[in-house]
Amino acid sequence: MQQVNTWRAVAAATGAADRAAAEEGVRLAYRSAGLPEPERIVWAASPKEAVKAVELLSGAGKSVREEVRTGPWAEERRRLHDELGPAGWAELWSATGAQLWDTTRELAERIRAGVVSELVERPEDESDVRLVLLDAVLGQHDAAWLSAFDGRGERLTGLARVARNAGWWWPYEHAVVISERPVELHRDEAGRLDRGDGPALAFSDGFALYAWRGMPVPAEFLDELTSLTPERIRVEENAELRRVMLEYYGYDRYLAESGAQPVHRDETGVLWRIALEGDEDVVMVEVVNSTPEPDGTYRTYWLRVPPATRTAKEGVAWTFGLGQEAYEPVRQT
Amino acid sequence: MYRQGDVLIVSLDESAVPAHLADAPGERRDARGRLVLALGEVTGHAHAVQGPGRLLREAGPLDPMLLHLPEGGRVVHEEHAAIPLPKGWYRVVRQREYVPGSVRIVAD
Repeated sequence: MQQVNTWRAVAAATGAADRAAAEEGVRLAYRSAGLPEPERIVWAASPKEAVKAVELLSGAGKSVREEVRTGPWAEERRRLHDELGPAGWAELWSATGAQLWDTTRELAERIRAGVVSELVERPEDESDVRLVLLDAVLGQHDAAWLSAFDGRGERLTGLARVARNAGWWWPYEHAVVISERPVELHRDEAGRLDRGDGPALAFSDGFALYAWRGMPVPAEFLDELTSLTPERIRVEENAELRRVMLEYYGYDRYLAESGAQPVHRDETGVLWRIALEGDEDVVMVEVVNSTPEPDGTYRTYWLRVPPATRTAKEGVAWTFGLGQEAYEPVRQT
Repeated sequence: MYRQGDVLIVSLDESAVPAHLADAPGERRDARGRLVLALGEVTGHAHAVQGPGRLLREAGPLDPMLLHLPEGGRVVHEEHAAIPLPKGWYRVVRQREYVPGSVRIVAD
């Protein structure tokens, strides 16, 4: 578990690369793969800049990603699978890589999509950019599978060293392009990109992604969030953006300022309903945390529930997948 | 039925435990020897159970987990009061929130 937490931190690491350590890792990875060390190592500020650098490379030779990364990884996986058996391998993966897989894979996919949308000016160029992205070794974002192999052999030490010290990298026969890590990364508790007052992910060259609780949003949209009014929220036609507006503004504040009325109240909480023109109603349960905050107050929070919900208890029960008759906690904290 | 923050722990009759799970090996414990029911990705705060027992996880993030406590145990969290649990089988359910067109889990 400790090892997973170390790799969890690697996947989320920000700030300048340790270039010497990363380059040493690159050379070790080549040697481990039985290849001569690359003649040139080119640094880029972000994956976006790295893709442009790859496109400008001359005399780099073919991609050796298969030899440097994929082949050794597959062999190590096979070796461990034989050693531990299918159940043992599944148990190892579930205790290590599986814990990091979804969040890092999603982050990498978002970076790819961001690079494509910034670099592709004509639709016919998209496949060129995507092909370059396919040649990338994901460095810190390979944390999930590196965590599974950590401490079980020397073969992947070079790859792991790059991952601990830098971002994505592109191995070719004679040259390597390697990217710095982000300078900013903001995520919510569920690991989704999330920031209301700036980029959720940013690199030093300005390449950035904006998101609110995982949902990609335009940068201009975030600028507008600080000056929202209930009227502006009401007239927003995009349901997803309106949901972000409501979350940012605060359901409680919106409820107070838009004159919403509680619909039902019982021992579990209060049910609220906001009618929205041309959209389904927003129905929420207001519940009070059972454990006091350090200052002795109790935090109130809102959870959105299906529009057909009639009582507060039915809403709270729904959040746990239960009918209201089945929801009877004997103790809650 | 017990609730700690965004996690609901529901007593389960032993006869309702799927046969293939009754003797399955459980999840690994964390570095502190606890069974982690739910982990906050950023703060690292966890709903976790101390004491002997097994946690059996089904595949998806919204699928419930099963918890077997042959001698009872305590569920703890950095921000919530601990809850003692009598011995037996439990279903562990994460709280979810309605999002038009989909459903997402709540993380506290």
